[in-house]
Amino acid sequence: MRAYQAIAFRAAYLLTGSAADAEDAVQVGFVKAWSALGRFRRGAEFRPWLLRIVVNEAHNRRRSAQRRESLAMRAAFADASGGAVPSPEAATLDREGRQALVDAVNRLDERDRDVLACRYFLELSERETAEVLGVRHGTVKSRTARALDRLRVEVGE
Amino acid sequence: MSELEQRLVALGRVLDVPEPPDVASRVLAGIGEARTPLRRRRRLVLALAALAVAALLATLAIPDARSALFRFLQIGGARIELVDDLPEVAGPAELELVLGKRVSLAEARSEAGFDLLELDEEPDAVFLGERGTVWFLYGTPDAVRLLASQTPDVRIDEPFVLKKLAASGTRVEGASVRDSQAYFLSGEPHVVMLLDELGEEIPESLRLARDVLVWEERGRTLRLEGDLTLDEALELADSMR
Repeated sequence: MRAYQAIAFRAAYLLTGSAADAEDAVQVGFVKAWSALGRFRRGAEFRPWLLRIVVNEAHNRRRSAQRRESLAMRAAFADASGGAVPSPEAATLDREGRQALVDAVNRLDERDRDVLACRYFLELSERETAEVLGVRHGTVKSRTARALDRLRVEVGE
Repeated sequence: MSELEQRLVALGRVLDVPEPPDVASRVLAGIGEARTPLRRRRRLVLALAALAVAALLATLAIPDARSALFRFLQIGGARIELVDDLPEVAGPAELELVLGKRVSLAEARSEAGFDLLELDEEPDAVFLGERGTVWFLYGTPDAVRLLASQTPDVRIDEPFVLKKLAASGTRVEGASVRDSQAYFLSGEPHVVMLLDELGEEIPESLRLARDVLVWEERGRTLRLEGDLTLDEALELADSMR
């Protein structure tokens, strides 16, 4: 359970924008997954299956709270750590660039944000993303391409 | 990977996500609850359901309390939400678009993937719709006498199939069909919408629904919708074989 707790919480948090809702989604999702283990397909990958259950719980909570319009993401300012050498990630984007990109992602609609969150913030493969979002592999490809196109417009590229 | 994609990955690695809490103890407690012997659990569930229905009926009689308690009811693949105000519904729905692909009764029987429960009278039109739903239409799309639907139950990791929004003018009563829990929504029309496989509302499915009996039986969620009293709806439901 602990092996998947961190990524499950991260996924739920990115979708709900609420630590409390994410915690509830992980807890309820894990219990549901335990109850549904008998229906887990032999040979299938466990991580995306589990994430899908947690993500659905997170979706339900987001909708219940009518927080559909906001992902409430904030960029952590890792480079504000007292003059230490910035990490490669921090060096790739400066503080303003990061916040601008967060704001641009937040302006996208829910489907675009979800597929981008899975592919780039959770770094799931296309196949895992398809399983987590409950869509076909080809749908992930097309949704990702469309979401990136729209994001380019949002960031003015 | 494009430059934008690289920036997104970099962003993901510095996003401000709180430390994950250790939910192990709560999960184990939840699993312990789920492990409660089946018979005892059924008794518990039945007792809780009876309490919930009794409390719900009491609550619905007090308009102000309705907004604070029992906001949601779930039955099979349907979720009933008690709301203060209904969303705006733009005109009557194009019912044929909502219901899906028109098929013959024989095709529906063979393509449904489960044994259909049918009324004595054959429907005037049959449709295969979203999420495996089979619709029986009695009358015409413009003049519906009765609309019956059945949807295979959603898996545990799937979102609801349909959502109903009921405001204070809609009465929600608990009932029973062949010992299965049922709810009857009557009075002012309520809003019903279908959800896709991601749980997204399908905008064109949004419509006002009339009196409806909804229940879960044999691994499917069934609905009977029309100008019906509770007794008439229950009689029709009991006749379905």
